[in-house]
Amino acid sequence: MKYVSTIGIECHVQLKTKTKLFSEVDNDARGKEPNSCVSPVDYALPGMLPRLNGEAIRMAILAGRAMNCEINPESRFDRKHYFYPDSPKGYQITQFYQPIIGAGYVELPSGTKVRIEHAHLEGDAGKLTHFDSYSLVDLNRVDTPLIEIVSMPDIHSAKDAHDYCKELWRLMRFANVTYGDLYNGNMRFDVNISLAPEDSQELGTRAEVKNLNSFRSVERAVEYEIKRQTKLLEAGKKVVQETRGWSDDTGETTGQRSKEEAKDYRYMPEPDLPPVRLSTEFIEAESAKLPLMPADYRQKFKDVIADEILEILLDYPELASKLGEIDQKYVKNIANLFTSVLLAEEKSAEYLNTLPTANDLNELAEMNSKKELSSTATKEVFLRLFDPQMKGHGTRQIAKELGVIQENDLGALEKIVNTVLAKPETQKAQSDFKAGEEKVIGFLVGQVMKESHGKANPSAVQEILRKKLS
Amino acid sequence: MEIKREDILHLADLSNFAISDAEAKSLEKDLGGIIKYISQLDELDTENVEPTYQVFEMENVWREDEILPQEADREALLALTKEEKDNQIKVPKVL
Repeated sequence: MKYVSTIGIECHVQLKTKTKLFSEVDNDARGKEPNSCVSPVDYALPGMLPRLNGEAIRMAILAGRAMNCEINPESRFDRKHYFYPDSPKGYQITQFYQPIIGAGYVELPSGTKVRIEHAHLEGDAGKLTHFDSYSLVDLNRVDTPLIEIVSMPDIHSAKDAHDYCKELWRLMRFANVTYGDLYNGNMRFDVNISLAPEDSQELGTRAEVKNLNSFRSVERAVEYEIKRQTKLLEAGKKVVQETRGWSDDTGETTGQRSKEEAKDYRYMPEPDLPPVRLSTEFIEAESAKLPLMPADYRQKFKDVIADEILEILLDYPELASKLGEIDQKYVKNIANLFTSVLLAEEKSAEYLNTLPTANDLNELAEMNSKKELSSTATKEVFLRLFDPQMKGHGTRQIAKELGVIQENDLGALEKIVNTVLAKPETQKAQSDFKAGEEKVIGFLVGQVMKESHGKANPSAVQEILRKKLS
Repeated sequence: MEIKREDILHLADLSNFAISDAEAKSLEKDLGGIIKYISQLDELDTENVEPTYQVFEMENVWREDEILPQEADREALLALTKEEKDNQIKVPKVL
């Protein structure tokens, strides 16, 4: 029997606000000592009052609009109770009944649409590190603002699951609401997968694979689950509804024992946080701040940049945004420099934050198109535009300093050609060429290039030589 | 709604409380009484009444996204925990 897989994904995105969701503490704990970004609020000391970070509301609006979602005019916070050392409060503050972000959709590069059920704001939990006989708790991550994005079960393959997660990552980075560093857990995915016979009207029993932190893991975990569940169903067995863990090393999911099968979070309204009420004007004003999204760039550049190149560029909001400032006629050239030169550099991550001005790049492309710069020289000058010592000089000046501007002045070139043709050592080559030995033209061009100290435009030189020797 | 012994044990389990039989028995009685008292509200018809989430009628109490120095530093906060190791809170192994 053939089975169809149905997949829904929950994604947690850490917002890059300066402070935490409910306290005025540094939210960026990267490279900082454990428990150094904490406050009495994070410790849940008696009498502490959470205070809502307005910036998290603004970012939630941007994130929602990036996914074509409705923004709910009224939202609230609730307490979700559970007992675990990663949460000193004994509950997580989340939005269970009235989330800030309503229904929307994400369109994958393939054109597939995945509907968003809703997305809500909540605080992250602390980080546990397990040792043989004890565990250590670091509360730096407590109440980092998260947006949990819940998709509808619109995904039906491992590839689409991968593409959906990647597109979410792009949307959140383009909306500029997260650092999007997957390695450091800025985005984490929980994947629900079920299988049902092709002609069945009902969905099968689902398994949930939790805490995946790369697109590749999502794809592999889905592939594995489809195989595992197909095998069970074909053997006449049942899929158990459970939470499973994924191991990148073994490439397998395994069932996680859970004491409390029926979850009992005892949700209740958070009495310490007044509701959030957003006026239409406020929502519109904030939504207007949303920069261009990947879909906008696909539309804008579809006739100029090849799909494969464009999809690479869309992993880097900085590059896409810079290309948006470039003269339409030079976009293709600059796009190629970005993908084939910049991204190949070891320091490319640093370079992304210090991109040259649109003016400098336009001039570079112009000089290249006028053959003032050979393609090699164009790359050389391009890289110097990132050099802290040189970048301020401007493209033309840098090219001059490097001495790579090609001589295109036909009069000047002709003089150099004449000088070379007058030299005794070129006489034999000249007569050989006239006798039909085509390939010696290379030698003659080389002599002219040498005479010009490499600045002549070789194709122009060749043209002049051919005219003179015909 | 009647409170049974198993409800008490379930709640104790969720909250990670160890309670004795005697305590469970007493809690069963107390909690039963509380629920019965609150249940009087069920007599009211609240069909068209908006639920009350909070009584101050405040909304949009937001703060600026600016880091402020905290009065209690890491040492002060860690001092409140039962056991610490490498600037982290040490707890019995959990998984």
